[in-house]
Amino acid sequence: MGLLFEIFQDMLFAAIAAIGFASISNTPFHVIKYCALLGAVGHGLRFVLMNCAGWHIIVSATLAALVIGSLSVLYAPKAKCPPETFSFPSLLPMIPGMYAYRTVQGLVMCLSSQDESVFNHYFYLMSYNGITCFIIVAGMVVGVTLPIFIFKRISFSATREILKGSYND
Amino acid sequence: MTTMTMMMKQSSNIVADVDVHDKLKSACRFLSQYAAVLLGCGATCIRIEKNVGRMAQAFDCDVEITLLPSHAMVVLWDKEHEHSYNCFSKSVGAIDFYRNIELSKLSWQVAEGKLSLEQAKECFDNILDRPRINKWVVLLLASVANASFCRLFGGDFSAVGIVFCATLLGFLIKQVLLEDGIDVRITTMASAFIASIVGASGNLFDLSSTPELALGTSVLFLIPGIPYINAGSDMIAGHYLCSVSRFIQAVILTVCLSLGLCGGMFLMQIKFF
Repeated sequence: MGLLFEIFQDMLFAAIAAIGFASISNTPFHVIKYCALLGAVGHGLRFVLMNCAGWHIIVSATLAALVIGSLSVLYAPKAKCPPETFSFPSLLPMIPGMYAYRTVQGLVMCLSSQDESVFNHYFYLMSYNGITCFIIVAGMVVGVTLPIFIFKRISFSATREILKGSYND
Repeated sequence: MTTMTMMMKQSSNIVADVDVHDKLKSACRFLSQYAAVLLGCGATCIRIEKNVGRMAQAFDCDVEITLLPSHAMVVLWDKEHEHSYNCFSKSVGAIDFYRNIELSKLSWQVAEGKLSLEQAKECFDNILDRPRINKWVVLLLASVANASFCRLFGGDFSAVGIVFCATLLGFLIKQVLLEDGIDVRITTMASAFIASIVGASGNLFDLSSTPELALGTSVLFLIPGIPYINAGSDMIAGHYLCSVSRFIQAVILTVCLSLGLCGGMFLMQIKFF
């Protein structure tokens, strides 16, 4: 029960975050509901993979981004808008902000440390957080973008008013 | 008599050439502006190419498009490849998915013959004239979003409250400075500086059990997530120039954000680890 509540809480806050970030990008209100849905599903999936299955954050984030990308292509013709207009804001709650923050912290501490062993310690922290952050973001970007390229015909015909049975580029 | 006929033929050819040129000029200017607006509003390069390509086809022309970091260049040819017109336009505006959606719809309407060039231009102007979401609504939603972000990282409710206030003030500063035409890099730095000062209140007044999360999350609303994702998408599509330029633009903003954050932390004398 506790775990279910935690998953629900994670999805709820991810949905709220996705709505906020979508509004900054001036996403129309009729599309924001898809941002919330995809943000919740993606973040919820990452939470389950990390905390229940014990997967690493990089693999979990990439897989969650892949699901967000696939769902966005699926919903794009229904929402009548390009899939990236709601998959990109949905992805933002998964941006590894704390890793980025610790990378900056590590850099500043490297610069301000005099002792070699202290410098090495902070350099290690900076490198570890920086590399992890970079690979997570790269995995997320590839994950969310791949379905758009794989299902090109659907992705680039989604804004068409009348779909006459088949999609054309 | 023969000379007269030749002269008439030549003059009718010149009139036809002028007509073709005018048609190309008008369509090329529209397509170039269209591509530049899409580039500015955060559309991926492959989408810009496809949208412009399908409209050029509807205008019975062949098109070559070059996308540069802040410009779009369109070369339009007639079907016989005897006449061409080229036009450069500078990208305008901030990231705006409303424009991305509506301009994509417009391209299909033109491609399906529902709109003529003149009607498309009118429709294009209407889309550009449409105001953005109310800035106070965006301010509130962005603050709630960043506060939720803090909760997602495991912050307690005091930290969530601190992040909400920090974002509210930081984002307000960003809106005001951008409205005044201040450079986006200086704006990012100032906004991060103010947000981190408010975010540091958890450390200073012992308000939260997770003060580090409050401070770290307080500036995350400034991370240029969409340019990072667009850079990745452009790289996969083979638009390396645009990809690298978008990536560098995003990195510069992230560095500005970090400088503002460090400035705030030094001022508040926060220990880093």
